This record gives sequence, C-alpha cells and structure tokens, in this order.
Amino acid sequence: MAIAGFIVVAFMFTMYVLLDGYDLGVAAIAPTIARSDRERAAMIASIGPFWNGNEVWLVGAGAALFALFPVAYASSFSGFYLPFIVVLWLLMFRGIALELRNHLPSELWHQFWDVAFSLSSALLIVLFGVALGNLLRGVPLDAAGYFQGTFAFLLNPYALLVGVFALCALALHGAAFVALRVDGDLGERARRGALRLWWAVLILYLAVTAYTFAIRAPLSASWLFAMPVLSLAALLDLRRCAARGHAAAAFVESSFFIVTLLTASAGTIFPYLLPAFPQGRGGVSIFAAAPSSVALACALTVTVAGIVIVGIYSPLVWRRMGGKIRVE
Amino acid sequence: MDPVLADRLQFAFTIMFHYLFPIGTMGLAPFVAAFSWKAAFKLDEESARIARFWTRIFAINFAAGVVTGIPMEFQFGTNWAAFSRRSGSVVGQPLAMESMFAFFLESVFLGVLLYRRGGLPTAFTAWSAVLVCVGSWLSGYFIVATNAWMQHPVGYSIAPDGTIRLVSIWALLFSPFLGWQFAHVLTGALLAGGFIVAGVGAYYLLSRRDEAIGRRFVCAGAIVGLIFAIVAIFPTGDRNSEDETAYQPVKLAAMEGLFETTHGAPLAIIGMPDVATRRLIDPIFVPDFLSFLAYGNFRANVKGLNAYARELWPPVEITYYAYHVMVGLGTIFFAVTALAVALLRLGRLWRSRWMLWLLMLLMPFPYIANEAGWTVSEVGRQPWIIYGLMRTAEAGSPTVGAGETVFTLIGFAGMYFLLGALFLYLVLREIGIGPASGVTLSSVEG
Repeated sequence: MAIAGFIVVAFMFTMYVLLDGYDLGVAAIAPTIARSDRERAAMIASIGPFWNGNEVWLVGAGAALFALFPVAYASSFSGFYLPFIVVLWLLMFRGIALELRNHLPSELWHQFWDVAFSLSSALLIVLFGVALGNLLRGVPLDAAGYFQGTFAFLLNPYALLVGVFALCALALHGAAFVALRVDGDLGERARRGALRLWWAVLILYLAVTAYTFAIRAPLSASWLFAMPVLSLAALLDLRRCAARGHAAAAFVESSFFIVTLLTASAGTIFPYLLPAFPQGRGGVSIFAAAPSSVALACALTVTVAGIVIVGIYSPLVWRRMGGKIRVE
Repeated sequence: MDPVLADRLQFAFTIMFHYLFPIGTMGLAPFVAAFSWKAAFKLDEESARIARFWTRIFAINFAAGVVTGIPMEFQFGTNWAAFSRRSGSVVGQPLAMESMFAFFLESVFLGVLLYRRGGLPTAFTAWSAVLVCVGSWLSGYFIVATNAWMQHPVGYSIAPDGTIRLVSIWALLFSPFLGWQFAHVLTGALLAGGFIVAGVGAYYLLSRRDEAIGRRFVCAGAIVGLIFAIVAIFPTGDRNSEDETAYQPVKLAAMEGLFETTHGAPLAIIGMPDVATRRLIDPIFVPDFLSFLAYGNFRANVKGLNAYARELWPPVEITYYAYHVMVGLGTIFFAVTALAVALLRLGRLWRSRWMLWLLMLLMPFPYIANEAGWTVSEVGRQPWIIYGLMRTAEAGSPTVGAGETVFTLIGFAGMYFLLGALFLYLVLREIGIGPASGVTLSSVEG
C-alpha cells in the first residue's frame, strides 16, 4: 500500500521536474542565448502555451503528498517554513513575469520582466536542488517528525553542489527544448549552448554522484547501482544527438537523464519521505502513517484517470501548438 | 501575538485576495466561450474582435488567479500542519482531483486561446474556450467540495490516534451541504461576470465610443446579471441558508443577530449586534419572517445564540455584518438589473445615462458581495476548522512562530499590492484600448 503511494508521489514530482524543468531551464538560459527582444519573445513563446499545465504537476504532487502522507506533508512544509515561502514567492514571481510580459508593447517593460523571469527561475532551480540535496543527506528531526535544524544546516556544501548541478542540468534541458522548438539562428545558438553546458553538467554529475556515494553508502538496494550507469549513458548520447543536430532525440535523452537521476534519488531515500540526519536515525517513513486503502485507491484512481485524460487531449493541443517557432 | 491568530490573518488575506480572481475567471469564462463561439461560427469581424478583447482581459485575470492560487494549497502544510496531519487523507483528495481533472484542462486550453496564431477564431479555439470554462467551474467544484467537507464533514472515520480517515470519496463529492453551496458560489461569480461585462459596455456608451459593441455588452451583461441576481436569492441563497439552519444553526443565529430563541423570529434588516448586552442595537425588524425563511413557517421556533455555550459562538459581529452586506447588495443587484432590463425592453436604456452610470459604478460591488458571502461561511464556522471535529485553535503549525507568520504576511501583502496594481493597470489599459482595435497578443509570436 504505502509503496504504491510512494511511487505515485515520486512519479508526480518527477513529471513536474521533467516538464516545468524545461520552462525553468529556458528561462535560466535565455539571457545567454537570446540577443534581442524578439528572440526573447520567441523563447517565451516556446514555453508559453505549456508552462501553466506543467506547473499543475507541482500542485498535483503536493496534493498527492497531502492526501497520502499527511504527516510528511505537514512536517516538511511547516518545518522548512521560510525557505518554502520563498519558493512560493519565486513561483509567483516567475508566473507574473511570464504572463504579464507580453501585455505591453514596450521594450523597457519586456526587459524588466525578462530579467525577473530568468532570475526567479534560476533561483527556483537552485532552491529545488538544495532541497533535493538535503533530502538525500537527511535533516535533523524531532520525535514527532518536525524539522529541528537551521538555515545554516540546510546550506551545506553537498546541498549547494546539488543546487548548482540542478541549475546546469535544467539549463541544458531548457536549451535542448529551445533547440527543438525554435527555428533558425536562435535554435542553432541554443544547440551550441547545450553543447557547451554539457561539459559543466558532466563534471558536476560525476562530482555529485561520487559525493552521494560517499555520504549515502551503503546503498539500500542493488538496482540503484544501475541508475548512474543509465544516467551516464543518457548524458553521453545526449552529446552525440545534439552534435549531429537531432534535436528531438537530444531532448529525449535529456529527459531520460533527469528521470534516472530522480529515480535514483527516490530509491535512495526510500522508504523515507524525510530521512533523518545523521543517517540511520530513521525519519518520516512511508510506513509510519501509511495511507488507508481507501485514500490510496482514491488517489491512485485520480492520478491514473487524470493522466489518461491529459494523455488524450495534450497530444491534440501539442499537435496544434507545437510547431516550430520562427523569429521574425 | 497568538500564532494561530497570525495564521488566520494570513490565510484570510491570501484567500480573499486570491478569490478576487476566480470570481472573474468563473464569471467571465462563459462570456469568453460564448463570444468565441459566435466569432468562430458566424465569422463576423466584430464578434472576433469582441472575443479577442475578453480573452485578453480573461488572460490577465487568469494569470493573477494562478499565481495567487499556488500558495493556497501549500499553506495548509506550512501554516496548518496540525490540521493537515489529521485531515490530509480526506482534504488532500479533492485538491488532487482539482489539479488532475480541472486545472490541467483549464491551463492547457487557455494556452491554446492565448498563443494561437492570428486570424479569425476557429472551431478549435471556440471549443478550447468552452473547455476553459468547464475547467474553471470544475476547479471551483472541487474547492467548494473541500470547503463543504470542513463545514459538514461526511464519509470519514476517526483512527485510534485521532487521524481523520477517508471512508467514501463519493460521500464527500455528493455531500448534502455541497450542492447548494457550489450553486450559490457559481451564481455569485456569474453575477459578477454579468456586472463586469455590463459595466464595461456602459463605460463605452458613456464615453460615446465603440457604441455598437457597448450596447451588446450592456445587453448581455444586464440580462445575465438579472438572471443570476434572481438565482442568487432564490433558490441558491435560500437553500444554502436552509442547509446552514440544518447543519450549523449557531451560524444562522449569528448571521441574523438572533440572541434569544424565539417563536416567530423576526428578520433584522438593520441593527448593530452588541455581544456584551446580547441584543441588537437600534434594529428594524420584519416580524416572523426569519422563522419563515428558515423553516417555511411564520410561527416556527428558531434557536438563538443563547441556546449554545458561549465558547461555541462564532465572532457574531463579523458574521452578522458580512451576511447583511451580502444580502443588502444582492437586493440592490436585483433591483438595478431588473430596472435596466425593463428599460431595455422599453427601448429607453440607451437614453438613460443615469442607469449607465449606475451599471458602471456597480462593477466592484459583486466582488464585495462574494467576499462577504465567504466571510459568513468561514468566520461563521468558527471556532471550528472542521465543524464539530477540530478546533481552529489546535490546527496551527507547532514549529512556526507568530513572528515568522507575520513576516511572511507582510511579504504577501507587498507582493499582492504590486500584483493588484499591475492587474488594475493592465485591465484598465485593455478597456481603454477597447475591442475595436482588434489587437491580439501578437508580440508573442515574435
């Protein structure tokens, strides 16, 4: 029961990172590859019809966590109160920037929102990365499962390294997306940007993987050893595809890279939703307050039915809206 | 400061500010759909311009609704951890349904409306507008379902550790409290939508520009406004109060300022409740009418606040005033739209500039009535967060202090002030540009 619930929640968070990840990545990389107001507008148009739907995965994942593991939901969100509220503010700011940018035909207005958009998105990625890093490393918890640490604790070298890695990996994901969706010079520049970023991602990936093994050894399950191999394969193939100009294949590899990383992370913390620090001290486990069979059946049905319905109409919309964007 | 008071202030502020936008979304969505539909199938240029105009305003409204909506769900976890721990298994479900069934639909198809490539609207955009409308209403349904459960919990069991567990999702989705509450909420939004459309039209007529389009807006808005002004009073408002009478009689007593249990209870039209002396100061009554409204019988016995322990009373003054503001405004809305439609029938509306002024100036008031209605519902539920099951005082987050909450409240206030100013500026600017220009969000296409 509890395991199925864990998979639902992990799946929804993974979908969020995969989908909103490219929105955030496009924003983070925009200042380095777009050279004019029109090019920035084209980058925003590439994600415009999709970002809102992508962000729904975060709300859905939050609701699934709420419904299935209320204890973990309550203690993590209230425990990390201020960082969490900052994330909410950044999410709001990102949305405002993206949506309001095009409502005035003024270049000054555009410039302000473009900078706000890129900054808030980049910060969001770093904060999500830091959060993931702390999840992997564990956090100090009291007996009831509430967070007992400090800001200084959360900003440890490992979590910061994961934050920087996340920034580069999602920027690469965003660049791969722009290369896929935007035609001409801008698309080409995104492709070359992706190739340059690739080196940073590779180095950081190796560093983070080694660091993770160092702090998490021994791993709880042997299949987890397969994940870094798959990630590395995806990353290497991503370079090959991008270098040859296979934009779609490169984006798929980038997605696969992210999925393997998140699967590895979920597998590493399992069966905890909020592992304690130092490790071996338990944490908020999925079995501690396992969801009832009714709650689980309901959440599972909603998730599966939702995915089926979305799966029916999204491709339709994608086909209509997903054509190449040209900068005029 | 008491940490829970800080939490309540923050929740009240963020939800009331957020709710301004769903009112517009749920209320304008059918207009956007109807205008897009007309534009797509009649293919006249004027309808296409009108459709684009309302889509632009809808888009600004929708964006503000989305960004202010994000914190709402997560606030349950950040500020109301004890509540979430106990009730998450139930409350999380309709929220998950909202994301998967409503929110996706709404956002995906709004993307189509906003980012379609120029030209006349097509059948595809018309259908998208309809689906956006369905999505926004469904979204409202799941949220009101969550609230209805907190008003009148059903379909649950209580585990040995006190956790509330879901037993039947169907009981929750078809709760006896939910039907009329949702109908009333939706009616309030549609009423607001009618007043917005009529008000914008009246503005064009008063400033003697875009007059043909302005007349279409006033016609459509006033008729929709009248229909939903009636529906807001009867049946939805009436039935909603009957449900309150049945399930939360103490709320009804506070709404009406009825301190003493009375046979043939009078309805207070005006009056100031004084909790210390337990009476209404300077009231104007309609004799026996409250008994009739609550039970359909002029001599029925209506329980007053004195029938309940003092600690179970909601804050009487806020509940009473909010209720009277809502009902008073509702009556005004009915009177004005009825008169406007009568003038329209007589063919004298376009000459009656005073009526056009009235329609324009009334635009903000449905927002006040909607917010007041929710205030009755939520403040009137106190001291409970889940009626009869959990008190608000024990629902906060043990690790979050009042100082932190006040700090973030100020942050939200600053952010929302900025957003509110931007929203007003952009919407007023769109109204200033007007439908005739036929502008699209063309810069999007680069």
